[in-house]
Amino acid sequence: MSKLFPTQEIGSLAKPAWRVKGYRGERLSKEEIAEALSWGRKLGIADLDTLVKLLNGRDSAEKRKAMLEWSAKYAIRFLETIGLDIVFDGEQWRSEMYEHVARNIGGFEFQGQVKSFDYRYFNKAACIRKPLYVRPFYVEEFAFTRDSAKNDVKVPFTGPYTIVDWTFNEYYEKRLHGKVADFRQKKFEAKRDFIFDLIAEVVRPEIGKLVDRGAKWIQIDEPAATTDQTDEEMKLFVESFNETVKGFNCMFSLHNCYSNYEVLAKYACELHNCSQLALEFANRDNQQLGTGSIRSGYKELTSFEDNGFTGNYGVGVIDVHTVFVEPPELVRDRILHAAKIIDDPSRTYVSTDCGLRTRTWEVSFQKLKNMVLGAELARRAF
Amino acid sequence: MPNGVNRWISMIGCYMTGIFPRPKELISITRDYERGRTGKAELDKAFSDATLKVVEAQSSAGLNYVADGMLRWQDPLRPFTENLNGVKIGGLARWFNNNMFYRKPVITGELSWKKRADPKIIDIEHLPKNLHWKAILPAPYTLAQLSEDNFYKDKTELVFKYARLVREQIESSVKQGFKYIQLSDPALVYKPRLAQISRDEVKIAGEALRLAIGGVSARTCLQTFFGDFCQILPEALDFPVDDLGIDFYETDIDGLKGYKFGKGIALGLVDSRGSLVEKVGELVVVAKEIIKSIEGDGVSAFFLCPNCDLEFLPWERALEKVKVVSRVAKRLREEFDE
Repeated sequence: MSKLFPTQEIGSLAKPAWRVKGYRGERLSKEEIAEALSWGRKLGIADLDTLVKLLNGRDSAEKRKAMLEWSAKYAIRFLETIGLDIVFDGEQWRSEMYEHVARNIGGFEFQGQVKSFDYRYFNKAACIRKPLYVRPFYVEEFAFTRDSAKNDVKVPFTGPYTIVDWTFNEYYEKRLHGKVADFRQKKFEAKRDFIFDLIAEVVRPEIGKLVDRGAKWIQIDEPAATTDQTDEEMKLFVESFNETVKGFNCMFSLHNCYSNYEVLAKYACELHNCSQLALEFANRDNQQLGTGSIRSGYKELTSFEDNGFTGNYGVGVIDVHTVFVEPPELVRDRILHAAKIIDDPSRTYVSTDCGLRTRTWEVSFQKLKNMVLGAELARRAF
Repeated sequence: MPNGVNRWISMIGCYMTGIFPRPKELISITRDYERGRTGKAELDKAFSDATLKVVEAQSSAGLNYVADGMLRWQDPLRPFTENLNGVKIGGLARWFNNNMFYRKPVITGELSWKKRADPKIIDIEHLPKNLHWKAILPAPYTLAQLSEDNFYKDKTELVFKYARLVREQIESSVKQGFKYIQLSDPALVYKPRLAQISRDEVKIAGEALRLAIGGVSARTCLQTFFGDFCQILPEALDFPVDDLGIDFYETDIDGLKGYKFGKGIALGLVDSRGSLVEKVGELVVVAKEIIKSIEGDGVSAFFLCPNCDLEFLPWERALEKVKVVSRVAKRLREEFDE
């Protein structure tokens, strides 16, 4: 991109109450409908009467589909109104990054809720048969976004390593019964078989369809990449990424967050066709202004450079887990500090640490607005 | 069974080793509580009801020691993070190599219990009087390794400080009637997979254990998981505990051969991180192989158990795994008696 410090989204936005209830076919309160109208006017969305009729209408397959389209349209306009250069639809078509995929793959069966932290849980599936491509799960959403967006589009795609890491591996472990005596070795071999079957049977066919429909940039989301930091696991992750993206006429990038970057940095230069690493740093940083040693949260960026990564960076300058709205000057200083480490400003893209799904639209709007303003301040400083 | 084994084994038992998953109804109420849709009284009742279910699952399976399931523990360190002076609750950090997170204890001042060792850390109200109780607590080494220390001189000072605090809780638990005390120490064996733990560090962990649990009037165990137990041999043989817990999904069995244990071994053979329910017959074969491989090395007791906390599983699967633990132990006892 010719513009210095392009701004980009990373993934999800929260789903408004009118989207959640509307999709479920539940009755909306006056306040919820008013909220939809208020945001619609703010974002310059046309034909809001049609939306209100839809929200008050009966549940049907057509209504559910229309709810996805309306909320995607809102999210795209949300990001474009703020001024982001690279957008998607806030993942409004997806229930959640893992569950959406797991529900659309053959051979997966949900087992129940397991704890993530505190009172937060996730619905965990088991792979009980060889993964089977049943239907496209991102293609329609992408096509709608591409047709609705004015700006460049990047497609977030949950990576195979993470899907496997978050899924119980019954089928492949059972298949190795009696063949591998060592429990540890059996688990690793079963995981490996699962990953590469998933890539061949599901992930690559879906990417192929996205590319055929015109996707130019796919972001592979792999939050689990450094969950197991042993050399054999990190090599498996690298191999899975390379196999995923191999041979497609499309740009790919990797998003990873809340991970050990000293470990990831050692393997990043082995990723093929990875044009950008979108990483989380703001969460690790403080809120004081300035560049240099004060920017303690960005020290691991140096490790990627020291280990020879030559691609671009999506530098996280907005912490998605706090309601604190970063002032533009703080965003500017974080960008300038990162650009200095990278030593080539054209390799610096500006983004949030991760998706903003846990923040309200009001807070997300302010945060992203200041991200765009901060990027502009950083451009002026150059 | 291998010739002569039954001459020196005094016991084959079974128990749980950590936090139990929350049942569906409790999950639903915790969510409602967090969103302000239900009150503290309803939440407390749901926790009590679920604790009774966990206890019932263990007692009906015939486990030798019964634990409360630690359902209120938001993470394996939280009762310490919340009940100590000098600690702030920090940000989320990954719980070893799992898709599960804990709040990092951030040490900002001198550590001490806020009142005294909090009896509510373990829910004794719902433990049956006619069974032996097991208490499960984090080991001082793991507590120190997973804390962010902004106060003490170094990690060693912090480990010993934690050891004294753990001791207070253990003594309180023993007074309450607990017969078995387990200290969970994943950090001690996890680290070696990334970088070899130093022998000095293993010795410090051992000394901290002496301070925390040495000489208490209950049967004691150091439960390790998420890493290869062999990495802390031979020092672990001198740790001041009755039993050593080993995660056999991470440990090289061959590496255990040739050591004179002289303690009980907790066989972490039921996989808490996999939903596949193990076949009892297969685990019996593996358990016998392990027993055979260390035959004659003075192991006095074996306890069948999950390799780590069962909370990595949904509730129903965890219940099935409890039954597997019990059935494997039963089958082994029957074969020994033959």
